[in-house]
Amino acid sequence: MSGCHGHGDAVTRRTGAGDQDYGNQGRSPKPGLPCVAPRSPATINYSRPRLATFWYYARVELTPPNPAEIPKAIEGIKGLMQSYKRGRLSELTVREALRNGLVATEILFWFYIGECIGKGGLIGYNV
Amino acid sequence: MVPPVQVSPLIKFARYSALLLGITYGSIRFSYLKPYGEEDRRREAEEKKQQEEAARIAKELEAQEDTILK
Repeated sequence: MSGCHGHGDAVTRRTGAGDQDYGNQGRSPKPGLPCVAPRSPATINYSRPRLATFWYYARVELTPPNPAEIPKAIEGIKGLMQSYKRGRLSELTVREALRNGLVATEILFWFYIGECIGKGGLIGYNV
Repeated sequence: MVPPVQVSPLIKFARYSALLLGITYGSIRFSYLKPYGEEDRRREAEEKKQQEEAARIAKELEAQEDTILK
């Protein structure tokens, strides 16, 4: 069975049909520590690529706003108010209105998630 | 894969401010509701104790009376 081979062995080994991925490819986790052969469960193998795609999108889309972006946000609010005063609301297409509704719903969901975090539970206040 | 979309700063700002508002609202409401919960639990415990006391007395009385019906 493919166990722990030690430090200086070749990293590439031919993977057979029944080989298990022991996570470290047979190397010791740190140079000074004794060699261990951890068994990585199927959940790690399943979730690692999905976690990678999640981080790929989250690093661009879900990051909090920089301090430099806050003036732009305030300008956006002012732009919204001005367009409301000029009566652009009547020029709104239904598609645009639905899209804005979805965005507003998503912001509302963030509020609910924050409330769940603040009250320390998922369903109801555990007083 | 579809490239990640650049979210407008207004939406990002709104999201995270909603998150913070939600956290503060949740914690404030929890601290407001906590004494009511403790009061309820205290009252329930007292009522349960009184009920147990009444049940114990009723059982003792029942054991004491001697009728031929039992």
